Amino acid sequence: MASAQPKIKSKVRCLDGEVGEIVHVIADPISLEISHIVVRANGTQRQVPASAIAAVRDDSVELLCNAAQIAGYPEHKPDDFLTSKQVEIPHLENKVHVEPGDLLVPFPVLEKSCPRRNFFAGFIHVIGALIALPLAWPVLRFITKPMYAPYDNHWIKIGNVSKIKTEDVGVQYIFKKAFTDSVLQREEDKNHWVIKATPEVLKKIYKHGDISFTDEKGEVIWVNKQTVPYVAFAGKCPHLGCGYKWRSHKTLGQVFLCPCHLSIYDNTGKVLDGPAPRPLDVLPIKVSATGDIEIIDVEYKAGKSELVRIA
Amino acid sequence: MNALLQKVYDFVDERIDLKTLEAKMMKEPIKGGSRWAYVFGSVLLFIFIMQAVTGVLLMFYYIPSADHAYASTQFIIHEVDYGWFILSYHFWGSSAMVVMVFAHMSQVFLWGAYKTPREMIWLVGLALFGIVMAFGFTGYLLPWDQRAYWATTVGVEIMDKTPVVGDFLARFLKGGPTPGQMTLSRFFVIHVMVLPGALMGLAGLHLFLFRSAGPAGPFRGTPEELKAKTDFFFPRQVWKDIVAMAAVFLTICSLALIEPVVLLEEAKPDPGDYHPEPEWYFLFLFQLLRWKIFAGEFGQFLGATAIPAAFMLLLAALPFIDRSPERNIFKRPIALLSWTVVMIGILVLTVSAIINREFLD
Amino acid sequence: MSHPATAISSVKLAWALSWAAFWTGFPFKVIVALLLLAAQVHPWEGTGLITLLMVSAPIDIWALGLTARTFFLERMGIEVRGPVGIGLWWQGAVLGAGMLGVAYYAVGTTAALCKKAAEATLGVVKKVIPIPVAEQITIELLMWAVPATIVLIMCLLIWLKLFGWRIKRFVVASGQTSSAGLQERVREWDAWRVPADSVLMLISFTAVAVLLTVAFWVLLPVTTPHRHPDYPPPQADAVKKKVKPEELLKKTEGTLAKAEAVLGSLEEEKAKEKKGKPKGK
Repeated sequence: MASAQPKIKSKVRCLDGEVGEIVHVIADPISLEISHIVVRANGTQRQVPASAIAAVRDDSVELLCNAAQIAGYPEHKPDDFLTSKQVEIPHLENKVHVEPGDLLVPFPVLEKSCPRRNFFAGFIHVIGALIALPLAWPVLRFITKPMYAPYDNHWIKIGNVSKIKTEDVGVQYIFKKAFTDSVLQREEDKNHWVIKATPEVLKKIYKHGDISFTDEKGEVIWVNKQTVPYVAFAGKCPHLGCGYKWRSHKTLGQVFLCPCHLSIYDNTGKVLDGPAPRPLDVLPIKVSATGDIEIIDVEYKAGKSELVRIA
Repeated sequence: MNALLQKVYDFVDERIDLKTLEAKMMKEPIKGGSRWAYVFGSVLLFIFIMQAVTGVLLMFYYIPSADHAYASTQFIIHEVDYGWFILSYHFWGSSAMVVMVFAHMSQVFLWGAYKTPREMIWLVGLALFGIVMAFGFTGYLLPWDQRAYWATTVGVEIMDKTPVVGDFLARFLKGGPTPGQMTLSRFFVIHVMVLPGALMGLAGLHLFLFRSAGPAGPFRGTPEELKAKTDFFFPRQVWKDIVAMAAVFLTICSLALIEPVVLLEEAKPDPGDYHPEPEWYFLFLFQLLRWKIFAGEFGQFLGATAIPAAFMLLLAALPFIDRSPERNIFKRPIALLSWTVVMIGILVLTVSAIINREFLD
Repeated sequence: MSHPATAISSVKLAWALSWAAFWTGFPFKVIVALLLLAAQVHPWEGTGLITLLMVSAPIDIWALGLTARTFFLERMGIEVRGPVGIGLWWQGAVLGAGMLGVAYYAVGTTAALCKKAAEATLGVVKKVIPIPVAEQITIELLMWAVPATIVLIMCLLIWLKLFGWRIKRFVVASGQTSSAGLQERVREWDAWRVPADSVLMLISFTAVAVLLTVAFWVLLPVTTPHRHPDYPPPQADAVKKKVKPEELLKKTEGTLAKAEAVLGSLEEEKAKEKKGKPKGK
């Protein structure tokens, strides 16, 4: 079969002489064989069935009819056909070779009406979206569940004031914090800094008066009174959340220094140098009669100039 | 907006010939027209995607450790918003997957669509069937409750009896001589990494082979009829596929609502009041092993290894044994009879297993 | 010339129509069932069942009409004017309701009788040959389920036969032979699946579906409706402590006042000490 296939531009000869040339070849999408050749004769294109072909030669095709009968075959309507490149018919191009040019296959009648195609295509999108939609809200809630956990407002004992030997000096308190982490009951080492402030340092820290702390509803849960000389600074650098240290600086003296981006704070928490946008964060603190220090482990968003509580 | 979209389309088209790709993907003439009977493959793909989506969501909270697997599953069910629904969807989705695999295989078998030139599609499909079963088996352990633990223990014991490779296979799955953390880790990684990867690869191959060999089409009808009803894969077949997907989606949602997942007690070495049982689609095999003829070491080998292996081999050899081009199932009495016998057999044994529960209490 | 309807068997005809109609209506019914379930109403009993049946009737009428008209035109080349769905549905429904009653009785009786017979037979056989439990279950199951299934299939076939006979009468009475060719007929029934105003249809479908989705979101319980009896495990409770800000504030203010008092007295003492021994420094 492959050796004797009609070619585009082959001359077409009838029993009584040449009538024209092949302009298209049409294949049957089911049998994968050539069903028609389209012959251009006398300025019209005629669809001649493969059954009318007597012989296929290298550069010509001989038909079983005479020239007058060609006009009896139906005229070729290009709109009723597609090229084999526009559709996917497995094995077709392996079985039927047409060169140079396109192999034509019939355009399925059911696919010719655009409104109908558009309706089905539209419905596909709508239903696709509607499978996703019912899940959208539950999935969003599912994923975001732990992201906005309520604040942890309970008091944690972090040590005793007896550890502080000198006033106005940062003292690190490392303590164990027990908490529920999804299903795990965990205990983590955390650290905060406490200074015993002299009245002048205390005045600077409380320059806007007592410091109050609120829960997520904005209700005040605690007020740090400026009469209490002990001040706790959260161990998280307000720049980008690193852990800072109490160090001596060449020119600034004893300071809180963050090793990550070299933010420097004095013992009132004020930014002396570096990229930090706000002073060190003061924590709710209470000191018992026996000198035990308790804090609420309040956490603020780093990198903001105002205080945004996150935990 | 449309002009912008057109620009983006043209940009991509210029580089990767999107138009031809689109034509080849979408404009596949379906001889005899699109049909509801052809939806199973697409529905399976859909169920798999949904399993992947819900599975990934579950991994946001699941902890694959013997100490916390149970607690974290309970956490998903009781604490996470809609967690119970997503877990239950995943659970019922796995059952739907097995049901659809059976439907898909039955359809291909009854339509004679495994015959030349589609043998390779059939073989890859059988491998995919194995992967779906493996998904069910490995996923069952992850909640780490009594049901999970004991079904896995029994399943691995059965595998252990396979001649030659059984011991290795069982140790490989357990990560040791007895089940424990290593078992959970292995089942977890097989369930969430190995099998999804394998399934995606093989499903891609399955689809590629299907597109290369072409769909089988209806098994009867004159060429005129087939031509008259011919339409393209897109939109009519895709429309049917997606409606079927929506129906399956709604069915799985309904099942998740009717029967949400409720765990048993946390896994422990004493089964207590619980009678170990595998997932329902393994019940028929489980029940078969209770028969006297499958008792003893040889019987065990016969029931748990030889018969299932022989059955799978027979399925694999099917397109090479059955070489007659006849596809009409009503003209293939042996095929119809064997399919009916297998289906009734599975059904009867499954029901037997359910009745058998009464004898245990 | 014989009518084209006589060429096909009644059973095949009724089967083809009802099978296709069942699946055509199925997705719509599942949507209703899902909404009922989300609202914690069981669609298989009481109000849920009544609602589902009420909604199913128009869905079935539409589905049966569409599939029947398609089948008549495509397979028989017959066009039926007028409301096909309702005309066939009520006959199928009446026959179905009757047959359902008969089948319920027949299958139930067969199953019960065969169960008894199976028990008796196995009782006798067991005296001769011992039968293990697992095998006994399957044998017993087969002994009653096979006859019951056969009776069920018979009932189904009788229903199909009767329904098919009604369908044929309906087609002969109200059908006209279509003069169109095969291709034209296929085009025609294909066109029935596309509404006249498809954009309107798409928009209204989408609107209804979005409404149903919102209803689903509202109805779907956030936490499981089937809590585990032992959840939460006892130790998890101890960790959770409710914090009441006002109480805590009052309490801590009290503590603070005490602390201040202590601090004050300490400072006073310190001051006294200083005063007491100024020369000692």
